[in-house]
Amino acid sequence: MRQTVLDVRDLEAGYEPGVPIVRGATITVDKGEIVVVLGPNGAGKSTLIKAIAGLVPITGGTVLLDGKDITAAPAHTMVRLGLAFVPQTENIFPLMSVEDNLKVACGILMPRETPARIEEMYGAFPDLARQRRTAAGNLSGGQRQMLAIARALIVHPKVLVLDEPSAGLSPKFVSMVFEMLAGIRKSGVTILLVEQNAKAALAIGDRAYVLVEGKDRHEGIASELWNDPVVAELYLGQRRLNPERDRHSGKGSAA
Amino acid sequence: MNLQFVVDGLLAGSMIGLGAIGVTLTYSILRFSNFAHGDFMAWGAYATLAVVGAIGAMFGKIAPMAPLSFGWPLIAAVIVGMAITGLLALLLDMMLFARLRAKGQAIIVVMASFGASMALRSLLEFIFSSRPTYFSRAIQIAMPVGFGIRVTPDQIALLLLTAVLVLGVHLLMTRTQTGRSMQALSQNAALARIVGIDVAKIVRVTWIIGGALACVAGVMIGILIQIRPFMGFDMLLPMFAAAILGGIGSVPGAVLGGLIIGMAEAGAVQLVGAEWRAAVSFIILMSVLFVRPIGLFGVRER
Repeated sequence: MRQTVLDVRDLEAGYEPGVPIVRGATITVDKGEIVVVLGPNGAGKSTLIKAIAGLVPITGGTVLLDGKDITAAPAHTMVRLGLAFVPQTENIFPLMSVEDNLKVACGILMPRETPARIEEMYGAFPDLARQRRTAAGNLSGGQRQMLAIARALIVHPKVLVLDEPSAGLSPKFVSMVFEMLAGIRKSGVTILLVEQNAKAALAIGDRAYVLVEGKDRHEGIASELWNDPVVAELYLGQRRLNPERDRHSGKGSAA
Repeated sequence: MNLQFVVDGLLAGSMIGLGAIGVTLTYSILRFSNFAHGDFMAWGAYATLAVVGAIGAMFGKIAPMAPLSFGWPLIAAVIVGMAITGLLALLLDMMLFARLRAKGQAIIVVMASFGASMALRSLLEFIFSSRPTYFSRAIQIAMPVGFGIRVTPDQIALLLLTAVLVLGVHLLMTRTQTGRSMQALSQNAALARIVGIDVAKIVRVTWIIGGALACVAGVMIGILIQIRPFMGFDMLLPMFAAAILGGIGSVPGAVLGGLIIGMAEAGAVQLVGAEWRAAVSFIILMSVLFVRPIGLFGVRER
C-alpha cells in the first residue's frame, strides 16, 4: 500500500517578500521511494527543497511529513521531525574531523546510542572509517558528499532530502554517489532529490517531477521520463509551452 | 635580567588569556568584535566585591585562609559573580546585540558594543565611584622560589585556577556536544541549523562562558592589582591582540596569545621601560601576522 511520507501542497516560497520563486508546487514522496525533481536552470528546484527544509521563507501552501504539518518549522527542528537535508555545497564542517562531523549531528540521539550509530555509518561508508581523524576539509569531493550523506542518515530520518548531490563532482564520483543513493533506498530510506544531471538521477529514481518557473509542470515514472517528449520540451522550449497540453500526459501515471 | 618578569608575565598573560577566550568565542560564533568584553571584567570584579560585602554583612568578619589573602567568602562570591557576569552578557545580547544582528550589519553591532562599553563603565563609576578599591588591603610576603623569582601564595593559587579553567573550557569545546556545536556554528551557521543545532541556545552558552571567564579575569586583577571601573577597558587591546595572535576561534590560541603578550609586556618593562609596555605587544602581534596572517592556532577556511 502506498504510504505518503512527504506531502507538499501548493507550496509558495521565496527569499524576498512578494517575489515568490516557488509558485504553487505540489509533490508527494511515498515511503521507500526515490523521487527526483528536475527542471531547467532557475526553475526554483533548490529553493523548493530549501523551503521544505525550513531554510527559505514559505508564503503559502503546506508541507506534511507523515501527516504532521511541518510547514515553516524552524530549520534546526527538522531532523527531530524526521527530515534530514543535505545541501549542495558547504555541506560539511571543514575544520572538524570526520568523526566530529558525525557526532555533532547526533544531538537528537540518546548519548548512549551515538557511538554505535557512528560505527554503523563507518560500516556503511568504509572510506569514512579510514579517515575518521582527518579534517573533513581534506576529503575528496566524493568523500565529502559521502560524509554529508552519512551525517544526514545518522539520525534515522523518515526522508532524506538532497540538493544536487552530483554537483561539482567528477564523472567517476557522480556514478558513485548515485549508486550510494540507490543502496540507501534499498535499506529502506525514502529519498527526495533535486538534480541537474537528469539522466543519472532518472536511472535510480522511481518517480520524477519537472519543475518549471516554480511550478510542478509534469510528473511521471522516472524510467519513462527520459524519453518523454514533454520533458524535452519543458527543458528546451519552456517559453512556447501550452500549459493545457502538458498537464494531461504524465499526471496520474505515477506508480 | 631579573627573571621575575616570568611570573609577572604569566600572571598578566592569565588575565589577558581568560579575557581573550571570551573575545575569540564571541568573534568566531557571532562574527563581531565585542568591545564591551573588557567591561564584563570590571563588572565581574565589582559584582564579586558586592557579594563579598554582602557575605561580610551576613556572617561578620571571616579570617582569610592562610597563606592566601582571601577566605571562602571571596571564593563563593566569584562563583556568584561569574553567574551575574554571564547573565549580564546574556542580557546585553538580548537587549542590544541580538536586535542589531537581526538587521544583518556586523559593523553596527561592533559600534553598538563601543557604546555598551562606555555605558557599562559609566554605570560602574556612578554606582561605585571611580576611586580604586581592593578585595583585601593585607600585604602578602612573596616567597623566594629560586632564580631570583618571588611568588605570593595568591599568585600561585590564581595561576592554578587559570590552568584549571582553561583546561575546562578546552575540554568543553572538544569533548562535549555543546562544544562541537559551537565549533560547527563558527564554521558554517546555516549547516549548523540543518544538522539540528539550536543556534539561539549555543549563542546563549557562548555569552555565559565568555562573561563568566571575564569575571574571573577581573577578580584576578582585583586581587593582584586593584579594582576600578576602567580596569577592563585597559585590558581590551591586549585581549584583542591575544585573540588575534592565537588565531580567532581557537581557545588554546587565545590563552597562548595571552601568555605571549603578557610575557612580552613584563619583559619590556625591564628591558626598555614601562612606557613601551603596550607597544611591544603590538610589535609582536604585527610581526606574527606578517608571517602568519591567520594567527598561531588559526586555520585557513577551506
